[in-house]
Amino acid sequence: MQKIIKRKANKQVQIIKAFILDALSWAYIALVSYKIIYEKIIIDVRYPEFAWKQPIYSLYFGIAVSIIFFFTNFSLGKGLFGLIKIDENDSATSKPFAFLGYLLIALTFLTGFYVSQVSIKEFFSANGLEGAKRIFTALIHPNWGIFEQGLFAAIETIYMAFIATAIAIPIAFILGFFAARNLMSGNKFAFFCYSALRAVLNISRSIEPLVWAIIFSVWVGIGPFSGMLALCLHSIASLTKQYSEQIESINDGPVEAITATGAHPIQVVWFGVVPQIVLPYLSYTIYRWDINVRMATVIGLVGGGGIGNLLMQYQGQARWSEVGLLVILIAAIVWTMDWASSVIREALK
Amino acid sequence: MLEIKNLEKVYPNGHHALKDISFSVPKGEFLVVIGLSGSGKSTMLRCINRLHDPTGGEILFNGVDSTKLKGSSLRKMRSEIGMIFQHFNLIPRKTVMANVLSGNLSRTGVLKSILGIYDPEVVERAKKYIDIVGLKGKEKNRADNLSGGQQQRVSIARALMQNPKILLADEPVASLDPATSHSVMQYLKKVNEELGVTVICNLHFLSLVRQYAHRVVALKHGKLIYDGRPLEISEEWFKTIYGEDAVEVTIN
Ligand SMILES: Nc1ncnc2c1ncn2[C@@H]1O[C@H](COP(=O)(O)OP(=O)(O)OP(=O)(O)O)[C@@H](O)[C@H]1O
Ligand SMILES: [Mg+2]
Repeated sequence: MQKIIKRKANKQVQIIKAFILDALSWAYIALVSYKIIYEKIIIDVRYPEFAWKQPIYSLYFGIAVSIIFFFTNFSLGKGLFGLIKIDENDSATSKPFAFLGYLLIALTFLTGFYVSQVSIKEFFSANGLEGAKRIFTALIHPNWGIFEQGLFAAIETIYMAFIATAIAIPIAFILGFFAARNLMSGNKFAFFCYSALRAVLNISRSIEPLVWAIIFSVWVGIGPFSGMLALCLHSIASLTKQYSEQIESINDGPVEAITATGAHPIQVVWFGVVPQIVLPYLSYTIYRWDINVRMATVIGLVGGGGIGNLLMQYQGQARWSEVGLLVILIAAIVWTMDWASSVIREALK
Repeated sequence: MLEIKNLEKVYPNGHHALKDISFSVPKGEFLVVIGLSGSGKSTMLRCINRLHDPTGGEILFNGVDSTKLKGSSLRKMRSEIGMIFQHFNLIPRKTVMANVLSGNLSRTGVLKSILGIYDPEVVERAKKYIDIVGLKGKEKNRADNLSGGQQQRVSIARALMQNPKILLADEPVASLDPATSHSVMQYLKKVNEELGVTVICNLHFLSLVRQYAHRVVALKHGKLIYDGRPLEISEEWFKTIYGEDAVEVTIN
């Protein structure tokens, strides 16, 4: 009896979800059609104005249209939430509700092209091709005169990435245990710590290292240190997540066996958990260093020091031969790191 | 030695796995627990060393109610009860020696054990038990590279390292072939007879039960339905325990 009530409640939730999805889809269609197809393509407004009433009217429109269509098979939400019966041998992609899906995808493509100002004309204009030729000639005639300067900056980048990873490892190693659900669901306090830590990690991971680098370059000044801090913070968050997921996927057997010997909880973790995770940990860590070296070059662009910084300076002065040399150096670093990290990770398996 | 009184276990999901179970185990006995899959055998074993927490009743271990213990006294109690698992549950990537030594963790300080410092007499003892389970010369082999039967013997040595008063064995031979099963059971028998360790063992094969058990208890749907000598299990009892359609399979 209880189960039936539960299933009914569940179905109501699904219906509400389906309706919201429908309404939002139609509102999106209305808004995009108005802003892109009408304003841009048909009457070609140069500086279209944004007013809050536009999305709000679209939402009204969306709700109205979806009320009409909700009782037909054209409802995308009902289709996606399994409220329309589909024969198992029949594919869902040929059903009427899929049509709305196709329309959404097509409109999104169209908008994407318009917003990114895709223009074949400019790509192949005489002027443009001339510029491209100039830059490519310079790039393939790199200025080896700045090789030493470039190499020095490259070494700075590699060490910056290394130290960022190295500092992140022990911190993430410890945090990893606290972020692992299977170890932390014992009591309420532990679970609270787990949830809080997870939230903090998710937030700091969702802020790009590039943004962190900008923040730190204001905080500690432009230079390798700010880039290092940005990478370090990002590495801690990412490694902790990967480490804790590894802990969550371990085999419980050894943990139980060590618990059964009467060992202290720290011993249980050290002897039951750690031996199961060292290899994956090493592999993640090396991969993280590899990623950090690549990111370090990019982070240099916003004042994080290293080779990216140099690249930014020469690009600003339009000295393309120098840029060409730096590009070669960066490619060499990335390629080497890629190769080294895959060789090491393969050997660890 | 062990006295179980009105033991109850209800899992958090509401499943009532053990219903009012009472029996006692005298010192030195080889007790075998039988019953169908899902009848609650593992649950009962795990309640005894508190890998699961019972939801009712008492378990008197040497006169102390172990269901109330916490922290270090719980660990002390666990250290006196060895456990052997169906899937051996050895520490992966570690040597036989390291695995056997892990049986002594409760008597080693946390820092010392992490640094890998063991007293010479502890290492001597580990060698002795490795010898007893017939694995002399394999101390430095990685435990997960051994055969199933050998791994189970390593886990017996690990349990012996605890100097246990009771050895719990949860289907110790269920993932082994018949010949290896007998050899592992022989070692359990040896531990029981020569070292005087009380053994409580879950088994599926009645032929093994008849050969090794001093006494048998049977569970069905979480209730204790039989308690007696192995040879007294008649055709009728067999049908009650395992169901009308059951046919006995033997392994030799
Ligand atoms: N963690 C758990 N949560 C909820 N129910 C469980 C849990 N563990 C076991 N059970 C249930 O309790 C009952 C008894 O399980 P138990 O593992 O003790 O049986 P068993 O006799 O050891 O069976 P088998 O011979 O298959 O090992 C089963 O019905 C099982 O589904
Ligand atoms: Mg079981």
